[in-house]
Amino acid sequence: MPSSEPGPYRLLGGRIPYVEGPLKVTGRAEYTDDIQRPGMIVGRLLRSPWPHARLLSVDVREARALPGVLAVLTGDRYPTPFGVLPITHDETAIAVGKARYIGDIVAAVAATDELTAEKALSLVRFEVEPLPEYSDPRSGLSKVAEPIHARGLLGSNIQKEVVQHFGDVDAAFARAAVTVRFRGRFAGVTHAFTEPMATVAEATPDGRLTVWSATQVPHYLHRALSEVLEIPMHRIRVIKPEVGGGFGGKSDPLPHEIVCAALALETGRPVKILFDREDVFYTNHGRHPTQNDVRIAADADGNLLGYDIEALIEGGAWSSFGTVTTYYNGVLAMGPYRVPNFRYKGQRVYTTKPPSGAMRAHGGTNLRYSIELALDALAEKLGTDPFDLRLRNALPPNSTTINQFRITSTSFVKCLTAVRERSGWDAKFRRLPYGRGVGLGCGFYISGSNSPIHFTPKMPQSTVHLKVDMDGGIAVHSMQADIGQGSNTLLAAIVAEVLGVDLERVHVQRVDSDVSPVDLGSYSSRVTFMMGNAAREAAESLRDRLVAAAARTLGEPAETLEVGHERIGVRGRPDRFVTFLDALHAAMETSGALTASGSYRSPTMGGTFKGARAGTAPAYSFAAYVAEVDVDVETGAYRVPRLWAAFDCGRALNRLAVEGQIEGSIHMGLGQVMGESMNYRSSRLLNPSLLEYKIPMPQQMPKVEILLVGDDDPEGPFGAKEAGEGPLIATLPAVGNALYDAVGVRFSELPITPDRVLRGLDLRAAEHRPWKGA
Amino acid sequence: MHLDPFELHRPTTVDEVVRLATELAGRFDYLAGGTDLLPNYKMHLNAKPHLVALEDVRELRGHSDSRLGAMERLADLEADRTFGRTHPGLTDAIGEVATPLVRSSGTVGGNLLVDTRCFFFNQSYFWRSSLGFCLKADGDRCHVVPQAERCYATFSGDLAPALLVLDAEVEVAGPSGRRRLPLGALYDPGGDGIRRTRLAPGDLLVAVHLPPGPPGRRARYKKLRVRPSYDFPELGVAVAGAWDSERVRSLRLAVGGVETLPRRFDDLTDPLVGTPLTPEAVNRLADEVQRRVRPVHNTFLPPDYRRRMVGVYVRRAFAEAREGSAG
Repeated sequence: MPSSEPGPYRLLGGRIPYVEGPLKVTGRAEYTDDIQRPGMIVGRLLRSPWPHARLLSVDVREARALPGVLAVLTGDRYPTPFGVLPITHDETAIAVGKARYIGDIVAAVAATDELTAEKALSLVRFEVEPLPEYSDPRSGLSKVAEPIHARGLLGSNIQKEVVQHFGDVDAAFARAAVTVRFRGRFAGVTHAFTEPMATVAEATPDGRLTVWSATQVPHYLHRALSEVLEIPMHRIRVIKPEVGGGFGGKSDPLPHEIVCAALALETGRPVKILFDREDVFYTNHGRHPTQNDVRIAADADGNLLGYDIEALIEGGAWSSFGTVTTYYNGVLAMGPYRVPNFRYKGQRVYTTKPPSGAMRAHGGTNLRYSIELALDALAEKLGTDPFDLRLRNALPPNSTTINQFRITSTSFVKCLTAVRERSGWDAKFRRLPYGRGVGLGCGFYISGSNSPIHFTPKMPQSTVHLKVDMDGGIAVHSMQADIGQGSNTLLAAIVAEVLGVDLERVHVQRVDSDVSPVDLGSYSSRVTFMMGNAAREAAESLRDRLVAAAARTLGEPAETLEVGHERIGVRGRPDRFVTFLDALHAAMETSGALTASGSYRSPTMGGTFKGARAGTAPAYSFAAYVAEVDVDVETGAYRVPRLWAAFDCGRALNRLAVEGQIEGSIHMGLGQVMGESMNYRSSRLLNPSLLEYKIPMPQQMPKVEILLVGDDDPEGPFGAKEAGEGPLIATLPAVGNALYDAVGVRFSELPITPDRVLRGLDLRAAEHRPWKGA
Repeated sequence: MHLDPFELHRPTTVDEVVRLATELAGRFDYLAGGTDLLPNYKMHLNAKPHLVALEDVRELRGHSDSRLGAMERLADLEADRTFGRTHPGLTDAIGEVATPLVRSSGTVGGNLLVDTRCFFFNQSYFWRSSLGFCLKADGDRCHVVPQAERCYATFSGDLAPALLVLDAEVEVAGPSGRRRLPLGALYDPGGDGIRRTRLAPGDLLVAVHLPPGPPGRRARYKKLRVRPSYDFPELGVAVAGAWDSERVRSLRLAVGGVETLPRRFDDLTDPLVGTPLTPEAVNRLADEVQRRVRPVHNTFLPPDYRRRMVGVYVRRAFAEAREGSAG
């Protein structure tokens, strides 16, 4: 159980149910598919059945002539390329010239109803020239006959190559007493959020375009719409209704969102595009299929001397966040341990498959699995306990990594200590019978990317506006995007905490670009840290004006006053106070309704070398997990009955939400270990459904014990850091290392399905390597 | 994905069903629970213009210890604890079907006649069109076994193996009246993943009859799948019989989920009657069944693994067989 000591705050640090919870559980919350507009019609997408093909010509006449069809669009109408990163704009709303994967959008129709729209799609005739299929990233590393994109490196399919070297890795390995190597292979996995993508768009006679969309980042969508449709941003209004999960899958501006808006412009009618699950799989932007090679050197005492890491990551058809991914697959090795020498080579290669992108714990997950399994191998070679090895090498607080990450708060050592004790590690490790085992996995993650994607660092990454009027209700505006993780609740709670009011006074408004000040949205685990600081600043500004008004009313100096529950009074004089409403009305006498604004910009940090900003963040979360596994050695099936999760998110501001994030992360991480896998035959996705994409069932969830041990972060709002992505990472290696403890095999290929377990046991038996007497 | 329009028929008697089925032969499907059929229709998998809903046919409902109406919901059988105690192996199988939500719609007859499955068949129209379709729907090629002239789609019902080992019979109504046949004879050993049964045009599965078993009969059904719910079987093994350390009095073994049809292995189990059921005998039986089955790569788990599990699951089914309270 998390510790339950009372904190210094009235609301924050407690367990705060989601403010929108009652609307969600009663079905009243409005999601994009709930949006109905007068005269709304249906948009449908034609997807490429070819893995790679030149589009020679297209004939839409028959489709266009079908009664009920209002528009048929092909790529030439809005050909401006876009993409989430300004440096890699290689996507178009609809394929221009080439189709690059099975599922790529090649045409779109708007029609009065679904059946007509689908009929129309079947009438669009393409003449194509098949092009070579590139389903294996290795095949794209050198010059190829037909690069998937012209921007590939030197005629290859390499989208991005990163080479970094800090210190002297060769010298470190030369003087090492012990070295280990682990090569991991990871299937692609996808977010599998609950709500399929949906967009509604309406162009109105006042010259404006309104777009409702299930997005994590309304602002980047706003920009992409403007760029591709060539309409100034101020004439576009982006609204984010409730969103049923994203996990990174709704963080890019996506082609269908632009297509939907384009169809609305073309037809003058409101248009809705709603995805099937299969569409979601083709849109993907999930975790990159990855092959990595991790070498670690240490001295005889177990001090880490250096990492030498390579990664080959498969991008699919587009760049998406891929440049960031390519950096992250290296630089996210720089914690939670001191690494004095570091070399990394990473390549991201386009393939003719659905695009990979950002998925929860983006860039840090596959790398971390390989590092943590290598560290356990290192501990074994050194004859030391995995905990002791990690404790010896833990990054200290207020330090700088060799690649110039600024580490401020870290409670990593507390994580290790707590989870070692609670899990009963010392009595279990190598002591459970054959088939059962425990494993340690650790992690760290950025608490908000220090580099905003589209801004100069001079602009704030988050702004929050408050307005309070006669009624005493506080309207909160911000473009932070609640996608189910609880950021609306946190926003309301921070405002209520600072002002001393009940939570029910605070009304977080729907994200609407007309009225919401820009916040960069829900990615890189940035919301609590950045929006939280902006909200605090806004609320404190409002509070100061209420205190000044109260001081006038009471005839006391402002500095003698304090904010209490729904009141402002003289410190130490319980009878001398004004109510919140009285203070408010007094303050309004001069200005009418009160408004306040707060913002957050992250401090300058990082080195000056190429790529130095990748991975820099104003704070980092830390984790140490222990998993226990129980393997059926005859079938290779296994269970994870227990998992102890020690996590440092600084101060947990809403324990209910933090625990939910940790449990959900564990479930998602277990999925990648146990069975989730986008399976391909050449470039063809074999399992685009939730029946054959094996998300773990509730029965597969371990009993989870969460240990929140973080100390306050000096810059986080009320001491908080992220808890949305970091909690996933440690899950995978904890299970991988537990499997080794159970059966003596370090599984290098994920997911670790039962057939792979048996194959591992067969290999071990063939090598006559007994384990725990078996 | 959407359902194409179809005409829905709602007969109320078996005779009416048979008349409709004869009249619409080749142009209709029966709609039982719909949990498999309707998703398939959304994928435009061999969808027909007519659906004959069986929900209102009273005779197809209800169950007793010896008779299961074809339209009896799996959840109704599950909820009947007396039935569960009487038929332990069958209860195993029912409880392993999909999820509680599916079992609240899914029926006995629907599970016995559920369509075979394959990674290259159970896909959307778009997906299949990009591949060029297959023997089982809209095409002329097999993508699992190239050059195959027959379909290798996998039989994916859980109830059939469990009922086969109980010597269940099925009652079929047809244009020429009623008939009863052993459940095994419902499936066509000369058929394939497309033509699975010996039902003729106009035939309707009315009920399953369970003959009394030998005293002290035990049974067990074990299902292999990736996750503990939701998934179709990657293998199903059923055993039933009466045995003790002295001798086997009766024994049946059936396997489903690995080939196009469920199979019983009487030629392997009959010789064991009268002999003691030693661990060696169980091992020999398990090895021989494993040697005979031929899974192909058209489900999630690789075929060599599924085959290897046949032996393990047979041994475990024997070890875990439980006695039913009323034979």
